[in-house]
Amino acid sequence: MPRSDFWSGLAVAAFGALALLWMIPNYAGSNPFAQMPPELVPSIAAWIMVVCGTIVAIKGAVIMIRNRMGPLTRDLNWPGIGWALWPFAYVGAAIWVMSFVKLTWFGPVLIGGMLLLLGERRWWMILGCSVVPVALLYLLSVYLMRVGVV
Amino acid sequence: MDFSAVGAAASEAFTLASFIGIGGGVLLGYIVGVIPGLSRSVAISIAIPLTFYMSPFIAISFLIGLSKGTAAGSAVSAILLNAPGEASSAATALDGYPMAKKGKPKTALQVGLLASVIGDILATIILIFVAIPFARVALLFGPYEMAAILAFALVFIAGLSGGSIFKGLAAGGLGIFLGTVGLDNQTGLPRLTFGYTELMDGMPLIAVAIGTLALSEMFVQSEKLRYDRAGMSVELKNDRSDHITWPLFRSIIPTVLRGTGVGTFVGALPGLGPSVGSFMSYGMTVKASKDPESFGKGNPKGIAASESADNAVIPAALIPLFGLGIPGNVSAALLIGAFAIHGITVGPLLLRDNPELLYSIFAGMILASLIMLALGWFGLMIFAQITKVPPHVVIPIVIFFCLAGMMLQGYGTFGLVILIAFAALGYLMKKYDYSFVTFLVAFIITPMLELNLRQSIILSRGNWEILLNRPIALFFIVCTLVALVALAVRTFKTGKPVANAPAD
Repeated sequence: MPRSDFWSGLAVAAFGALALLWMIPNYAGSNPFAQMPPELVPSIAAWIMVVCGTIVAIKGAVIMIRNRMGPLTRDLNWPGIGWALWPFAYVGAAIWVMSFVKLTWFGPVLIGGMLLLLGERRWWMILGCSVVPVALLYLLSVYLMRVGVV
Repeated sequence: MDFSAVGAAASEAFTLASFIGIGGGVLLGYIVGVIPGLSRSVAISIAIPLTFYMSPFIAISFLIGLSKGTAAGSAVSAILLNAPGEASSAATALDGYPMAKKGKPKTALQVGLLASVIGDILATIILIFVAIPFARVALLFGPYEMAAILAFALVFIAGLSGGSIFKGLAAGGLGIFLGTVGLDNQTGLPRLTFGYTELMDGMPLIAVAIGTLALSEMFVQSEKLRYDRAGMSVELKNDRSDHITWPLFRSIIPTVLRGTGVGTFVGALPGLGPSVGSFMSYGMTVKASKDPESFGKGNPKGIAASESADNAVIPAALIPLFGLGIPGNVSAALLIGAFAIHGITVGPLLLRDNPELLYSIFAGMILASLIMLALGWFGLMIFAQITKVPPHVVIPIVIFFCLAGMMLQGYGTFGLVILIAFAALGYLMKKYDYSFVTFLVAFIITPMLELNLRQSIILSRGNWEILLNRPIALFFIVCTLVALVALAVRTFKTGKPVANAPAD
């Protein structure tokens, strides 16, 4: 996996650099009188990411050069990428809907919709799998935990 | 040992409420374990929100029972489906599935169950006798020692529980970085909160745990569905000759004892998970056998070796947790979070401040093992039916419970956004072989590490020479450096990790 090592290492090192150059100076706070300043531990963590990410990226790059591989590939599996991404989009959209509708009411739609997308076509299966977990949540939140409808 | 505390603990453990709580945990764990793709850490992370309203003893025992149940349950799918419920049961499938195909599925399941329960009970007894003296010694440790031990544990876990040491350390670095978000203990000022008041208490542990472990795993599973939907299940029939016999049981006892020893040793070391334990035990059993060719073709000793070690790892992993407060794997790290939610500091202080709770948990663990035996023995036919539940039905339900877990904590939309962000992070870490185990352990122990580091710096006034008078701290610092160099050299030389298995 030299190509993925190269890019993932680069991403980790870039995040570490971003933390060192922007996040920590602006948001970690400082206390010149403290024997251990608040930015010390985040800075150590960021340096670890920079150093280790760089090593992973360099290792990947060296193997790519040895094997005469380019950093990018043309034969990307777009249907596969789409299949990997849709659950994220689905849950992301569900979270957006849940900012208006309570999960206890929206739950059956969330489960049923995903079951349909994953290929389930038996109506009794969709109905049972959508309603039973939500009924359990209702029982748990309203009667056992007494936190109300969530 | 305080015998009045032991008596009180036993009486607390053997109440109806404990039976229901611990039994519920084991039952839930069994069901989760049987379903391929749902792992122990996924189950624990989803179940933590359910424990908010339980007493600390029942909550922790419920989670430990859940953990034990998954280990035993995963053998069912390994034997009947050749698809282990967890990676640690993969070794069980090597002999379990061929044995089931030969017409002995019930015998294979009973061998697995008995090996699991014996391994589990023996390792729990070892935990009780080792953790308490360990904690007594650990109480003498100061911040120097604790900071050094925590750093050593992190490097060890980074090197052993994932891909290369550098990827492990990078994941650990990210975990430490995110673990520092929130109010700084010394200054009381917000740190890395980016103006969000919701982050004043730090990144919500439930969001990090459920996102990185459970939700990301569901995304991984749904991706796998595109390529693999088939499953071949072996039917359980009412065959009177298909059950474990006394001579068979007697023949597997030495293997179970060896497996327990291996599992206990592996579990007590941070970073080495049950997968390493079960495969190591399996390998040792094959080597010790007079008939090594029979393994992989349905030898019951193969099942016994793998299952006893797999289950022994769980109590053994609690030795560093109760002894030092250091989680050796993800499940133990999640238990730290569960203890924290109930306002309890786990580690040697638990023995000093709350010995009754510690003894109650030990009693609860023994009870969980016995419930596991009863449930597994009498519920065999029912659990076998669960293997038929298709994964595409499980995924949406688990996703729903992930979201519900966050909502029950009262985090609202902000918490859900953090949850999906961590799910994406967990997905990428799994995809690109960055150790999410190291990430999560680093995230959870960072407050403890920072506190001990700060106390060390303040007490020493920045003078490093003070370490020369602290031999234990110096020993662990040297060990950390040696481990770092050795693991880095190994990564460069072989390009492979020492043990490429998630320590969950």
